[in-house]
Amino acid sequence: MSATNEIAPPEARTGIAARAVGLSKVYGEGDAAVRALDDVSVDFERARFTAIMGPSGSGKSTLLHCMAGLDTPTSGQVFIGDVDLTMLSEKALTLLRRQKVGFVFQAYNLVPTLTARENITLPLDIAGEDPDQAWFDQVVDTTGIRDRLSHRPMELSGGQQQRVASARALVSKPEIVFADEPTGNLDSKAGQEILAFLRAAVKDHDQTIVMVTHDASAASFADRIVFLGDGKVVDEMLEPTTERVLDRLKSLEG
Amino acid sequence: MFRAAIRSLLARKVRLLLTGLSVVLGVGFMAGTFVLTDTMTRAFNDLFESTYSQIDVLVRSENAFTAQTSSLDERESIPESVLQEVEAVPGVARAVGDVLGYAQIVDPTTGDVIGTFGPPTAASGWNDLNGFTLEPGGSPPQGPDQVVIDADTAETAGISVGDRVRILFQGPPGEFDVVGIARYGDGGSIFGATWALFDLPTAQQLLGKEGELDSISVVADEGVSGIELQGRIAEVLPPGAEAVTAATVTSEAQDQISTGLGFLRTAFLVFAFVALFVGAFIIFNTFAIIVAQRTRELALFRALGASGRQVMTSVLVEAVVIGILSSLIGVLVGIGIAFLLQSALNAAGFVIPSSGTAILPRTFIVSILVGTIVTVVAALVPARRAARVAPIEALREAQDRPGRSLRFRIVSGAVVLALGVLPLLYGLFGRPDNALQFVGIGVALTFVGVAMLTPLFARPMAGTLGLPIRRTGVPGKLGRENSMRNPRRTAATASALMIGLGLVVFVAVFGASAKASTTVVLERTLKADFILTSPTFTGFSTSAAEDLRTVEGVETVSEVRQAEAKVDGGTVFMTGIDPETFDSVSEMGVLEGSVSDLGAPNAIAVHQDVAANEGWGIGDTVTVEWPATGEVDLEVAVIYEENGLVGDWVTSLETYDANVAQVLDLFVLIKAEPGADIAAVQSDLESALETYPNIDVQDQASFRDMYADFLNQLLNLVTALLLFAVIIALFGVMNTLYLSIYERTRELGLLRAVGLTRRQTRSMVRWEAVIISIMGAVLGVVIGILFGVALQQALAPEGFSELGIPGGQLVFYVVFAAVLGVVFAIFPARRAAKLNVLNAISYE
Repeated sequence: MSATNEIAPPEARTGIAARAVGLSKVYGEGDAAVRALDDVSVDFERARFTAIMGPSGSGKSTLLHCMAGLDTPTSGQVFIGDVDLTMLSEKALTLLRRQKVGFVFQAYNLVPTLTARENITLPLDIAGEDPDQAWFDQVVDTTGIRDRLSHRPMELSGGQQQRVASARALVSKPEIVFADEPTGNLDSKAGQEILAFLRAAVKDHDQTIVMVTHDASAASFADRIVFLGDGKVVDEMLEPTTERVLDRLKSLEG
Repeated sequence: MFRAAIRSLLARKVRLLLTGLSVVLGVGFMAGTFVLTDTMTRAFNDLFESTYSQIDVLVRSENAFTAQTSSLDERESIPESVLQEVEAVPGVARAVGDVLGYAQIVDPTTGDVIGTFGPPTAASGWNDLNGFTLEPGGSPPQGPDQVVIDADTAETAGISVGDRVRILFQGPPGEFDVVGIARYGDGGSIFGATWALFDLPTAQQLLGKEGELDSISVVADEGVSGIELQGRIAEVLPPGAEAVTAATVTSEAQDQISTGLGFLRTAFLVFAFVALFVGAFIIFNTFAIIVAQRTRELALFRALGASGRQVMTSVLVEAVVIGILSSLIGVLVGIGIAFLLQSALNAAGFVIPSSGTAILPRTFIVSILVGTIVTVVAALVPARRAARVAPIEALREAQDRPGRSLRFRIVSGAVVLALGVLPLLYGLFGRPDNALQFVGIGVALTFVGVAMLTPLFARPMAGTLGLPIRRTGVPGKLGRENSMRNPRRTAATASALMIGLGLVVFVAVFGASAKASTTVVLERTLKADFILTSPTFTGFSTSAAEDLRTVEGVETVSEVRQAEAKVDGGTVFMTGIDPETFDSVSEMGVLEGSVSDLGAPNAIAVHQDVAANEGWGIGDTVTVEWPATGEVDLEVAVIYEENGLVGDWVTSLETYDANVAQVLDLFVLIKAEPGADIAAVQSDLESALETYPNIDVQDQASFRDMYADFLNQLLNLVTALLLFAVIIALFGVMNTLYLSIYERTRELGLLRAVGLTRRQTRSMVRWEAVIISIMGAVLGVVIGILFGVALQQALAPEGFSELGIPGGQLVFYVVFAAVLGVVFAIFPARRAAKLNVLNAISYE
């Protein structure tokens, strides 16, 4: 498989949900400079489940944060849809995150003082909008947390918390969902449930999901894996399986 | 462990700063009080030393005791002939006689009198031994038309040599030419006193002391000691006169100042302690939060083998360091405050002679000790909680750990509350000798008890208060949730505010009750159409009443005078009234005897409560000790029940004048002829009184208003000082929010990631502040009202019959607290909004 660092002309890629163009992120200066991302260009297709993998220090989390508008690149551009994030003010970025982006983090996804239901509708409440009730019900039932809706995060297991977080990420029907090691804190069964749910969202509801993970079996749920190493895209795999991913990771480290 | 404690301190400098701030302010107030009063004491001591150093012996009339409340020395005069006797004593180089009496200078430009209440306003004779030195360009007074006035008065009123001034006396006023300006010692005058100096014969005549002297200053011959001379002079003096050495007079003067300043110091220290008390709450809360935040770190120490005691000690070490540092800074702040207070007093007319700021070692030692002890004691409970952290908690998430069981809290809180309420009620209603101490301790413990119980209902209370805020959107809803999530912390923060506002409300209720009671008393007892009084309730010349008797339409003019005396060693205020006319201008509620019975020689009237306490009836003998004349036996002729206007002890003007040296009127009550035009009479009275600018003509309504204004000034001063404690409490709100935000970093990051804007974040923090502030204010209002009611009930027999609750003022205070809460939330809110989202969500 060859690396795909080139950018195809926009007209040919109508199915692109988000895109990085020549993205670089440098920390520090001069000799002490660390290039977390080095001129990365990558597209994320709509209605696809994309995973980003790489060893620690490869820049995968940095890439995610830049794509999501949580961090600003040193150079290059980030697009969500047609919007160039690097041109947006801080407030506009906040609004973008509220309206167009969904998040699932590894931990601390939920506001402890709110119930599960309130956590799910949080971005919509902040915007002052009501959720689409039918969609809300569907999401809640699919994640299987209807009987926990009135509970506080303290009263939920890790797996349940992540399901609530996933539900929140999807309820507002964002253009793209970014997940940062969503199964990192979960046991394998709970992790598998979450991944299956995310995959179903992509397959059944055309949701776009980009997930950072270091776990090969988690990555196997994706349609496409982008491999990062030393701040660059080093490889790509379509239709991955756990074995193939493990093989690839081994060869990349070698 | 020690090093770890210091490191952890340095790592969180802002936290250190905010924690120590409350101690800095409280200690600052205390240190400032000490510095101010010490400076004033030293200044006066030096002043008296230098002025009395010119004489060796002073001759004067004996007095029974020194009245604290009279502005000039209450002593009788001695005959002028004594001067020749004294001059003849061997060893006397010079003997100079002098008189002293009430005088008020009228400002020629404004027409008002110079001199507010407090410092004396006096006149005496001019001589070179009285401590005054003439400024260049003037000359000593000679003859009945000339006067020398003190430099401060001259400056305040813009009077210079050659001007003509009017001066009021006990008797009729007069006009004089200013021929000189004089300084007392280094300063312009003594502590803001105004002084008019005449030649001796003129002074004697003006003060009604022809042929008399109030004092004789004696200078000894070379080689003759003061003590020796004093003994020799004493032998030639008539009974009732005494000779004292300059040293005695100096220390008397110094003692008097010392006592007066002692009152001032105690008053200010009370406020300082209130500030420190509130500060202690803040410290407690801060340390509780810090310990909770450091649970994992402390658990790690425990896991590595540190004992609970070592952990507790490390927290206490932090407390000691903060205490000492804050106290040191506090002393410096205090010196600054003292400076400010000194300027304020100077501006208000209480001029302090300058002799350098006195910073005694005691100030440092006490301030640092108190500040450190308060900090450590406040940090004790959190420190003990730190000791109970289990090693396993290093591995767990720091959720809000449940504290001791609910029952323990209810019981201990109730016990402390009882320990507070009981002494309070005993002090108020049981009337022991040191009632004030009981009340003070009672109030403090009551506050602590309520603060201990508040967490029990903090959550529902915050929830209820925040209900209307939920509608405003997600920030409001989150702010409300945040105020409810940790009831102990919310309660501790709100409690600090409760103390400050509770005291403020108490003062307001007290004031409103006083005003309401006065109104009721006046309505019940006043039959006069007009009341003459000075705006500061100080005495005024008796000749005013004389002048008014001839005004058209006036039927009765009745004078009322008041002076300090002692009965059975206890201080009382003797009121002098005119037995013939008083009944027609005021209702005394006579129960036995009649008002005119007071016309008998040496008669006294007492209030029914006094009579009941002492077991006195008509005909019994009461021994009254007057400062100037000593013990005098008076016979009970009247027992009455209305003491609102005249107090508990009343005698005739004749008896009063015979025993009081400085005779001035306190009130003059005037009744118009039936059918007279009231408005016309009032304007005639005012014209007649033009020569007395210090006297106001009031009708009942305006008198009541004037009294209310007077009371308001006092209340405003007290409230302003209490606001200091409120400000400290608000710093506590800021502190709590700041630390909480630090604690909720990850959560804030999440909210921002999910789309909460900076403005919404700030708004969320502000709402939390509003709820906490209103909670503290409401609690304060409730407690303040309860205290106010208790005090009013306790003082009801003393004429405090009505309870007044100033609803509007209380609502204002609650709103004020909410607004200030928002202001003090600005800093934490901005901190919360400025969080870098990425750092926040990755925060470990």
